[in-house]
Amino acid sequence: MKSALSTARKGYRFGELDLLSIVETVMDRQPRVLKNGLPNLAYFRAANAVLAQPDDEAEGHGFPQVEFWLTLARELDLVRDEGDRLVISGGVDAFFQQPFAQRRENIRQAFLDSHGLNDFALVNEIELPGLKKGGTVDVITDAPDVAARIAARRKVLELALAAGTDTRMARFIQQVQREAPNFVIDHSGDGSWRKVYYRGIRERSGREDVERDGGWDRVEGAYMRWLIALPFTRLGWVDFDPARGSFEVLDDNEPEPAFEIIIQPNFEVLALGDRLDAGQLWQVARFCRPALEGRVRKYLLEKKAFTDALGRGLSAASMVALLAELSRKPLPQNVRYSLDEWGASSERMKIWPDALVVEAEGVEDLGALLTTAMREKLGLVAVAGGHFAAPAPGPAALREHMPPRRAVLDYSRRLPAVITPQPGLRLQAPSEILHLRARQLLELVARRQSTDFWQLDPALARDAALAFGPDEMRRRIEEALTRPLDPAHALALRGWSGEFEPAFAGNAEVFLCDSEAQSELLEMLPDFSAWLDRKLGRGAYLLRPGGAATLRKLLESYGIKLRDHNRRSS
Amino acid sequence: MKFHLHVGLIEADTEQALEEALAIARCRQRVLARLAPNVAVLEKGDTQLVITALQELGMHPKVIK
Repeated sequence: MKSALSTARKGYRFGELDLLSIVETVMDRQPRVLKNGLPNLAYFRAANAVLAQPDDEAEGHGFPQVEFWLTLARELDLVRDEGDRLVISGGVDAFFQQPFAQRRENIRQAFLDSHGLNDFALVNEIELPGLKKGGTVDVITDAPDVAARIAARRKVLELALAAGTDTRMARFIQQVQREAPNFVIDHSGDGSWRKVYYRGIRERSGREDVERDGGWDRVEGAYMRWLIALPFTRLGWVDFDPARGSFEVLDDNEPEPAFEIIIQPNFEVLALGDRLDAGQLWQVARFCRPALEGRVRKYLLEKKAFTDALGRGLSAASMVALLAELSRKPLPQNVRYSLDEWGASSERMKIWPDALVVEAEGVEDLGALLTTAMREKLGLVAVAGGHFAAPAPGPAALREHMPPRRAVLDYSRRLPAVITPQPGLRLQAPSEILHLRARQLLELVARRQSTDFWQLDPALARDAALAFGPDEMRRRIEEALTRPLDPAHALALRGWSGEFEPAFAGNAEVFLCDSEAQSELLEMLPDFSAWLDRKLGRGAYLLRPGGAATLRKLLESYGIKLRDHNRRSS
Repeated sequence: MKFHLHVGLIEADTEQALEEALAIARCRQRVLARLAPNVAVLEKGDTQLVITALQELGMHPKVIK
């Protein structure tokens, strides 16, 4: 931090705007999370740039403020990991909907109780080289553990709040050193061979651990300075003035928010005022795209963000009303027109990317069958055709609200094979267990004959083979079958899909000879080969039309008699 | 009634609009079922393809999550 907030901008309300910026940056970027559990450097830079008092990357201390707010955001369930991405969490809306005092209380408690926040490691003036060893067992360090850090935060806060107005930081640190020297690191037995140094704690860029003798101010003092300058000030307990090196305790009676937004014809929304309210700004951010450039709070009204908000259940009217409420002037006409048009156009197509679909079968009236409680709890809405849909609920909600004795077909898993081949190219698929994947397959290659029976159809199978390829079509069918394809089904499907040339059945002229030596001699005879259509096997030949009579004459001219029946002579 | 969990569902205001959306995303062959002329059920991943394809064309359907 270059400097703390000026006295004109003090209290939790301004610190909360930093938290809002951190969350908005996550929403805007959805940064990739690295193996160490932190988002990528680009995110840190972007988030740091929109803080009230950004850290200076060139100083080489990293971005402790971003790390601080991000840890609290995670612990408050405002952001979460989704796969390898950091995204905003479902809890973020509920958090910012809380009254101001409640939000402040929650975040203060989250800080005081935080297990994940290693605030000792965020202090600029010291470093913990043991952390670089990644938790190997040979690291010996005097750096405080989670319990010690939690106790230390509470102790320093208690002493700071009791310190009174305009307390010099240096004097306060001396007071704590006198009254509670062991508030974070135990100093009993200092000077013994074991306690000469703060093991594993160095000054920034130092080459050796800090000596305990005379090092209290450089370690505990630095930690206290950091606590007061960042968490205590940003969370509104105190106001620290770095120029004077003193802090004053604040009361919790913070002034009411005072700001307005200006909506420009180019769809920019600017938030202006001395005391912005993070709760209301978050409501705006949820249907705009935060334009995080510098410290001016600017949002862009964009169709995607607006329709996404509609998808989350917000109404276009409520969003327009919020803008109108926060703005002194009416919405520009082109903006209002566009918002109305976006709202109307998004209603023309609705998509549930991960849904629970309740399918009405036959003449079922789901409106009457589904209980009101179930529809409300699961968020089921009617879609065309008498069916209902809702975003896929979690397993617990589903278990709680599902009607008894009803199976749920879970398409995130492999579904059972339900199609059984029947004689005569028929397939049996009982409708009560037929799932949509199996039904899709049946509709690709067969026509429904009755409730449970389907008949393979040559034209459909041919089209499906053209679309997917014969092998893929057959693979899909075989996967959905309760037992392997019958030869008749396989022959038909492979024949229809063009895998086999049409076979010949009819009268043909055939030449058979039982002697291998004779057939070898015949094959060398040009007059024989001229009438040969193909060799069918050893000593078996298919002849061209008229070949039998011609060859009979030819061979008889050599004195070879041919037999008229195809049975071997015994 | 049947309960289908973790599928994608698209409901358009007209059958033609639905056909166009599926054609844009090249997902017509992947439709699991047409529950009504203007309602299609797809696998989740295919539904995401439709959303992405529509958004790339500047069309922003109402995505209900």
